[in-house]
Amino acid sequence: MSEKELGKKWDRCLADGAIKLGTGLGLGIVFSVLFFKRHTWPISFGSGTGLGMAYANCQNDLRSFYMLHSSEKEQ
Amino acid sequence: MAAKILPVVKLATKVTIAGGALYVAYGSGLLGSSEQGSVALGKAKAAIPPAVQEWMKYFGLEAQLPTIPTVEFSPVQAWNSGVRKTISTLSEAPTNAVGYTNQGFQYMKDLTK
Repeated sequence: MSEKELGKKWDRCLADGAIKLGTGLGLGIVFSVLFFKRHTWPISFGSGTGLGMAYANCQNDLRSFYMLHSSEKEQ
Repeated sequence: MAAKILPVVKLATKVTIAGGALYVAYGSGLLGSSEQGSVALGKAKAAIPPAVQEWMKYFGLEAQLPTIPTVEFSPVQAWNSGVRKTISTLSEAPTNAVGYTNQGFQYMKDLTK
């Protein structure tokens, strides 16, 4: 993986993290207000889920360089 | 009759709103891969100035928003130059320390002359 490609992957990771954190926070707030009587835990849960999804995406993205596609494996 | 239906209607409304929020989040690719997320972010960035203009018109504030000045600041460049400066300072520290000590001794000698 070239330096440039790695840099782009990290940029995507950070942007994705911010987006998913915001989305999780927003959905957490919606659910907290609507269903859980304005408790804090749905907000924390939502933000944590968002961060976790971003982490998993980032991990997959950074590992994808070393993963062989199944079609290449047969050769 | 109405008193019995009302809680059901309330619950249905809440579920609709929550479901709608989830659908919008999923549909705009906010919960997908990182590429989808950056596409959604780009779309949002492009959509902000027209939306702000619309809202200003709606409220009757026709004043022109000053264009955000493009700041020529790159965090990456700043960080890299910071790292370089720190490491070069650390590597030159012993030489500089010796130099400054010698200067100090020379100064004291000159004082006592």
